[in-house]
Amino acid sequence: MTEGTTAERTVTLAHLFPELLNLYADQGNVAVLRRRAQARGWTLRAVPVKLGSPMDFASADMVLLGGGSDREQQIVGRELAAYREDFAAAIEAGLPVLAVCGGYQLLGRYYELQSGERVAGLGLLDVATKADKGRLIGNIAIEWTSGEGAPDVRTIVGFENHAGRTYHDYAPLGRVLKGHGNNGRDHQEGLQYKGVVGTYIHGPLLPKNPHLADHLLARALAFKGCREPLCALDDALEWSAHHAVLEMLGVKS
Amino acid sequence: MAVLRLAGRRGTSLPGLIASRVSPELLFRLLDQLEQCVVVTGTNGKTTTSALLYSMLEDDRRPWLTNRGGANLLQGLLAALLPHVDRYGRLRVRRAVLEVDEATLPLMTAHYHPTLIVVTNVVRDQLDRYGEVDGALEMLRSGLLYPGTTLLANADDPLAASLGRERELTYYYGMEECPMDEEPRNEVRDGAFCLLCGQELRYERYIYGQLGYYSCDRGHFDRPEPHFGGRTDGVSAVTVRERGANERGEEFPVQAGVLGLYNDYNVLAAAAAARLLGRSPRQIQEGAKHYEAPLGRMQMFPGSPERILALIKNPTGANSVLRALEADERDKAVCFAINDADADGRDVSWLWDIDLEWFVSAALCQHYICAGTRALDMAVRLAYAGVDRGRIRIAAELSDLVSMTAELDVPVYVLSTYTALHPLGEHLRSDGPGLGRRIRT
Ligand SMILES: [Zn+2]
Repeated sequence: MTEGTTAERTVTLAHLFPELLNLYADQGNVAVLRRRAQARGWTLRAVPVKLGSPMDFASADMVLLGGGSDREQQIVGRELAAYREDFAAAIEAGLPVLAVCGGYQLLGRYYELQSGERVAGLGLLDVATKADKGRLIGNIAIEWTSGEGAPDVRTIVGFENHAGRTYHDYAPLGRVLKGHGNNGRDHQEGLQYKGVVGTYIHGPLLPKNPHLADHLLARALAFKGCREPLCALDDALEWSAHHAVLEMLGVKS
Repeated sequence: MAVLRLAGRRGTSLPGLIASRVSPELLFRLLDQLEQCVVVTGTNGKTTTSALLYSMLEDDRRPWLTNRGGANLLQGLLAALLPHVDRYGRLRVRRAVLEVDEATLPLMTAHYHPTLIVVTNVVRDQLDRYGEVDGALEMLRSGLLYPGTTLLANADDPLAASLGRERELTYYYGMEECPMDEEPRNEVRDGAFCLLCGQELRYERYIYGQLGYYSCDRGHFDRPEPHFGGRTDGVSAVTVRERGANERGEEFPVQAGVLGLYNDYNVLAAAAAARLLGRSPRQIQEGAKHYEAPLGRMQMFPGSPERILALIKNPTGANSVLRALEADERDKAVCFAINDADADGRDVSWLWDIDLEWFVSAALCQHYICAGTRALDMAVRLAYAGVDRGRIRIAAELSDLVSMTAELDVPVYVLSTYTALHPLGEHLRSDGPGLGRRIRT
């Protein structure tokens, strides 16, 4: 392989503030994307963007934004405001973004505390989150409402743990089969807009949902300008773990 | 009285629960009778440290009591005290070493002030239990408000050490020499931020997890100079150096038959606490020799193969156990028994915060077996850490771990979450030498 092709077969993931937004083991999502890229002859270059260091959206093929504690999210919210314009433009251009839990909330306009005080989000999407009594905690299964390239398996499983109730008018990531989802009321979970996937589901999200991992990976490659199909992998273990959660929740797959 | 008869049973909070329903004030009435009470709290190492300290303090002339077995909520404390109450409601034993859960500490100290509180560390634990590390730290801080209580804290952990800031009657212990990594490992370091300015702390040395020699660049906070310094090569005894009134200080080795650097910290903490309580180095050395590991704290089950049972309940703890396994240069089998009951933490995300990639590449291990309600999550975790999928086996039941490892000729380490620990202990004991192999049908 020439040097040129090696560079071409590198997909770059910007992992925002991993030192702060790592409450739900989001490095697990990176590990899954890395291995699955590697199995298709791609090198995943995960670039940790630390608090205070510059962020070059032009060089990223994908962005991962995890969740942190309230204190950590406030620090990040202040910091990210400086990147807002570039980030918004990149999202409009179709940059794939995976935002989990606190990261999902941060994409929105604000997080309203129970006191009524509003902690500003990035305002990249018209999403609002309000704190309420009692956390929404537990295993969750949803039916993925995937627009394009609908996979055979439509379920997504994982764990949710959030006090915030999130409201928006975008397409959800899916319909709640068991669990709480965005707000525990409208049976919707997460959000899909252009390349953005926002969700409360962790566990982490990707290990037990290889179809979603590949969907995101394919998106990142497409954003890079490469539309090759991803070959199938041996995911027997992943699907066993996926179905074990469905069974535990009493959801028929 | 049924309550008192039940109370002798091992490792359960049940009798205490019954009694606390009978009289919620009973616990505090009994605690008030104690002449000396040491509380050991923190996220990891509570059970081992308090067991070590108990073995260093206990003697025939001055008996101590303890809540051995890790029942560390209010009803568990009561269960530990009840067997020592005479028929007039008086405590016969007036000295106690009590392991106390972080969230229980403020409930206890609202009504009762211990002589000494030892804080081992404050790291990320099961997330759906207490929310966040910040919350755990807050609970500890409010539990330490009483000014007359002496605090002994781990200087090497920024969060534990922060509890002693501007506080009187505070002592620190920390490692002065120990095996260290050249490069920091890929570990979660929740506490690696200045609590005053939020700036990432600068580390001069990484020991494990968020433990090390740290300072805030803006000068808010740095590692306090420990009053009790430890030296260990990771294999032999821990040497404790005490910075006493005389400049030279005193040095003594403590050998306690434990495995792993994280246990060396527990030895150091226990020895420091025992010194603060006036035990001589000789008494500490003698006591440490008689220490027996509590259930699942690197507990050895001799036999063929030999099996070692270790509790894992959070990433830092699991990484510490894996480090100890790395130091065992023999080929080995590693079993993970992962449950997701309330006491284990229902969210298993933390499995992905364990630095298994390092272990898989650094340690000699040919056999991986996963069990428990979350066996498959663990198996997926191992596969992505680089373990060949063909080498990962699933045990349908916890008891199968015993039969599946029976034919191996390498040591077997069983890493287990909390609720799998007792059943595994039973299975491993019944499979032990002299009792004959369990008959399998
Ligand atoms: Zn500072």
